[in-house]
Amino acid sequence: MHEFRYERPATVAEAIRAVAHDPEADFLAGGTTEVDLMKDGVFHPDLLVDITRLPLRGVRRDGTMLQVGALTTMEELASDRTLMERAPFVVEALLRGASVQLRNMATIGGNLLQRTRCRYFRDPAVPACNKREPGSGCEAVNSVARMHAILGASPACIALHASDLAVALVALDAVVHIQSEEGERLVPLTQFYLMPGETPDRENVLRHGELITAVDIPLPPEGTRSIYLKIRDRASYEFALASAAIAVIMDGPVIKEARVAMGGVGTIPWRGFEAEEVLREAPATPDTFRSAADGTIRDPFIVPGTAFKVELAKRTLIRALTEVTS
Amino acid sequence: MTTIQQPRILGAGVDRVDGPLKVTGQARYPNDVNLPGMAYAAVVRSTIPSGRITRMDTTAAEKSPGVLEVITHENADHLGEAPATFIKNPQPPLQDDAIRFYGQYIAVVVADTQQNATAAAGLIEVEYERHEAILDPHDPRAERIKDPWGEDTAWGDVRTALNRAPVMIDQTYTTSENTNNPLGLFTTLASWDGDTLTLHDSNQWPNMIQQVVAAMFGLPRDAVRVLTPFVGGGFGAGLRCWSHIPLAVMAARHVGRPVKLELTRPEMFTGLGHRTSSINWIRLGATRDGRLTAIEHESLTTLPLDGDEYEPCSSVSTWSYASPNVTARDQQVRLNIPWTNFMRAPGDAQGNFALESAIDELAWEVGLDPLEIRLLNYAEVDPKTGRPWSSNALRRCLEVGAQRFGWSNRNPEIGSMRDGHELVGYGVAGVSFFWYQQPCSAKVIVRGDGSAYVRSAVTDIGTGTYTIMAQLAAGLLGLEVDQVEMQLGDSSMPVGTAAGGSGLTAALGSAVHDACGRLIQKFVDLAGTDPFSPLANVPFEDVAVSEGRLFRKGDPTRGESLARILAVHGLTELSADGNSTPNSPDQLGMTPAGARGARFVEVRVDEDLGRVRVARIVTVNDGGRILNEKLARSQILGGTVGGVGMALFEDTVTDKDTGRIANATFGDYLIPVNADIPDVHVEFVGEPDAFNPIGVKGIGEIGLVGVAPAIANGIFHATGKRIRSLPITMDEVMD
Amino acid sequence: MRVNVTVNGAPMTADDVWPGESLLYVLRERLGLPGAKNACEQGECGSCTVYLDGLPVCACLVAAGQAEGREVLTVEGLASGEELDPVQEAFVECGAVQCGFCTPGLIVQAHSLIAGHDGVPADAEIREHLAGNLCRCTGYEKILDAVRLAARRKAGS
Repeated sequence: MHEFRYERPATVAEAIRAVAHDPEADFLAGGTTEVDLMKDGVFHPDLLVDITRLPLRGVRRDGTMLQVGALTTMEELASDRTLMERAPFVVEALLRGASVQLRNMATIGGNLLQRTRCRYFRDPAVPACNKREPGSGCEAVNSVARMHAILGASPACIALHASDLAVALVALDAVVHIQSEEGERLVPLTQFYLMPGETPDRENVLRHGELITAVDIPLPPEGTRSIYLKIRDRASYEFALASAAIAVIMDGPVIKEARVAMGGVGTIPWRGFEAEEVLREAPATPDTFRSAADGTIRDPFIVPGTAFKVELAKRTLIRALTEVTS
Repeated sequence: MTTIQQPRILGAGVDRVDGPLKVTGQARYPNDVNLPGMAYAAVVRSTIPSGRITRMDTTAAEKSPGVLEVITHENADHLGEAPATFIKNPQPPLQDDAIRFYGQYIAVVVADTQQNATAAAGLIEVEYERHEAILDPHDPRAERIKDPWGEDTAWGDVRTALNRAPVMIDQTYTTSENTNNPLGLFTTLASWDGDTLTLHDSNQWPNMIQQVVAAMFGLPRDAVRVLTPFVGGGFGAGLRCWSHIPLAVMAARHVGRPVKLELTRPEMFTGLGHRTSSINWIRLGATRDGRLTAIEHESLTTLPLDGDEYEPCSSVSTWSYASPNVTARDQQVRLNIPWTNFMRAPGDAQGNFALESAIDELAWEVGLDPLEIRLLNYAEVDPKTGRPWSSNALRRCLEVGAQRFGWSNRNPEIGSMRDGHELVGYGVAGVSFFWYQQPCSAKVIVRGDGSAYVRSAVTDIGTGTYTIMAQLAAGLLGLEVDQVEMQLGDSSMPVGTAAGGSGLTAALGSAVHDACGRLIQKFVDLAGTDPFSPLANVPFEDVAVSEGRLFRKGDPTRGESLARILAVHGLTELSADGNSTPNSPDQLGMTPAGARGARFVEVRVDEDLGRVRVARIVTVNDGGRILNEKLARSQILGGTVGGVGMALFEDTVTDKDTGRIANATFGDYLIPVNADIPDVHVEFVGEPDAFNPIGVKGIGEIGLVGVAPAIANGIFHATGKRIRSLPITMDEVMD
Repeated sequence: MRVNVTVNGAPMTADDVWPGESLLYVLRERLGLPGAKNACEQGECGSCTVYLDGLPVCACLVAAGQAEGREVLTVEGLASGEELDPVQEAFVECGAVQCGFCTPGLIVQAHSLIAGHDGVPADAEIREHLAGNLCRCTGYEKILDAVRLAARRKAGS
């Protein structure tokens, strides 16, 4: 039996201290990933520090920005009026990301840290998984891998980043507040996630004992149009095969400014800088959209099961661009 | 044979009698039961598909907190052979070191809590000697079994007919492995009391579990009692005595306490069997105007190394349409895979997809409306024997369905019906389902207050058996439904058959019919011996029953209540046993027909993304007499959703090197969600069937059949793409 | 560890709880409340849905410690005595129940939709709200009927 301790400190500082001083400790927020992984036998901390009752909950408007406490639930953020008005695609991403029951538990900070759904990662009976056991190899690359990443992937790891919310937030240049015993640092979400490279076990820049306390979501200018298009086999309640988060400012038939990110394709939420480059000051035409898609889905790493995703992702992006600009 | 004279549809509005218990959380499923002193078990499964165990180290597990016992093949009880019950049951687990598939049980750990048991199970170290596994049905080393059930069928001369046919369709259709996945996690709670054993167990056939467990543990049958009053669905998964059951029994004996063994969702994928994948080769010969001259249907399905399975995919081609020349042959191939097993409409689901796709292809080939070609080739009589059907309303299903659906609005041209990004397609499929019935018994008791009990060992897996049998008995005894108390799901009651094969309603219903008839006879006899009874000297044939009273036909004033008859004779109750056995086709001179049906589906295919959406479904079925329309409708609706799952989502994926099931969770194995299911119109047609006294034809499975080909045929109409393998996913539909 | 939780209005205590245990296990195996069902243990099916401080959650993913001092309402707590809650009544009436295993979770989830709604929710809203509840028997249609019926009755009363 894996014995471990459970604590519920009263302050953020105490919580951080508790985790920082035990290398096998971790924070517990909504639990929708961690409790799941504990049951799968993939995650076994010595100490779980329950932070759900810390005062890191709530959404605050700060000028052209929303500051979201890390323990705000997905459901709470999804019902924020300002967000609905100014960046509805973030709300769409939240609503399409999980069931009501999960949204009532899952937190924004936790959502950004959710682990991949890769069944080779989540099954300890599979010996080879570089993410779970560094250096052991990747079983998924040799197996049936339909739900896996094609961008940022490598023979070392093709695990997909499963968040929908993070895709929309990456598009908006959200910024993460990270607290540690040393103090606070701010990291743009676009620089928060790490590609697997040779160390698929390291998924982001968080160091042990660091806690996400808040996320700043810049509000796009009034008049911005946005969309979160999620393509999956089922009509609801499934992770994306491909998704596109797009915000555009139009000037008649011309796209003045665009923010593009894609989900369902990357080992990290995939920001489409190349697509944005193509779209900026370009006419909203099928040709423009096709070049934006070709620019985004470049040099994919595919295995037989994921080959179809290259074209599917491009068409998803084209469809989303078509809808949001028309 | 006396038959019911009541209307075609009984009790249309009767609510499910077990509804209140279920909506309040009071219905007790096997895993809801807790007993004093109960311990919990967790299984350990093999992580290779073939080989043998060379070493097991259980030291750490034994020392783990709360652990009471660890059982492996080294210290397991030697158990007796598991008898076959219609089909084989897995032989007792932990009897040797051989590994036959990935996920086979190799140990069981018992502890004071589930968490302690599960944690300790993870500490057992296993070393294997690996053998090369055979996982691909096309592997030439795999053992092939031809004509596995001796049911290969041929009439006429298919070779010649195909050679001469002006039009021929020659195609291969495949279906993927599917997993039953009832919501209820299968659980066995085993409790010994001396040499008697009680099991709270998830299954579809309590007497089968009783028989197999008794044989394995060397007990007389009546020393084993199996309780299954409620089970969280089965879809065929509960039709064998799976290995976790003897494991729980053995564990309980070892620790001397009741032991609960609840499978996890991933364990449900390897431990209960699954629907086999299938390859169907079909050749159709036809005249230029679309009349069938030959059908050749061959199938290949899979088997585990040491089991059997009945999946005659080709048999649908022997009874669905009229053809003078038919060959139907099945083969099975043994692989290092978990057991294949019945899953809602075994064989029919796969074979019908193949046949109805091929018929559709033929329609396009000869330029005939897909509806017309099915009507044209309708089998007026059993094409194999020439005998009349016991009932067959397939034609009516197709006609009524077409009308409800608005089939005449269909523009026959491919890709001609468009709505924005979406291409609209109409698809149709006919369904001729198999017939199945087994012997069954029941006891009916009338108590002093005039109310009744009905008892049988069978279980109600959610289909509504409690309700329709209460209705049936109430009707036959002249009582209100709420005056009949049902007692099912207990192996100590009169021996019952399986809740499977769409055969329970006919089997149990006929037994209840028989018991009620005998019971009324007893009452009439009793009354007849009482010179003061208004029914004195009235012969049985002249007695009718209503509102708890027997009376002389044509003179309702001349009668007596059941309660009064009991009282007059100083009885507290009167009971009768009833039995049913299937009638003989030879004796009746007819072929028993299973249910019949037609599916009409509108699909919408996203032109760019290949995503398929089912926009509406019309499903019309002939189930003979419908005992409760509300429940029958639910059976069809649920089956329809299973059909949508089979068509578009469900695919049990096995890693090609290790034999591990790669998607054994509800997050990865997709079953349809609410939003996937469109408006479904359900309708029943047909007349009471002539093959059993209550006129029913089982409808527990037919709802699923035909949905997949109707969708595939609709996709062809929408896109011009003929997709011959299931499930149909966007990667295949996308250009 | 010890967990104190108010369930269906009554304060309850479970001792010797392993910190990694789920609220679902505590309810089913320690507190004698098997109404909430275990079917996937990973938040994918909704069979274990209960209210936690007034919000529906998957009890299988709530660590026992997280429930400390909070209020839980399960399917067993919806009816008042013999009288079914209107949602329960509608499920029986509409034939939205078959094997019944997903039913308790669906009842709680549907209850939460209707409780927070003044009229009859649109179909899309019902489907969205029930998206996390899998059912393998009923075909969903009757469940939608039941939710509409219960909502209509509530709106009418």
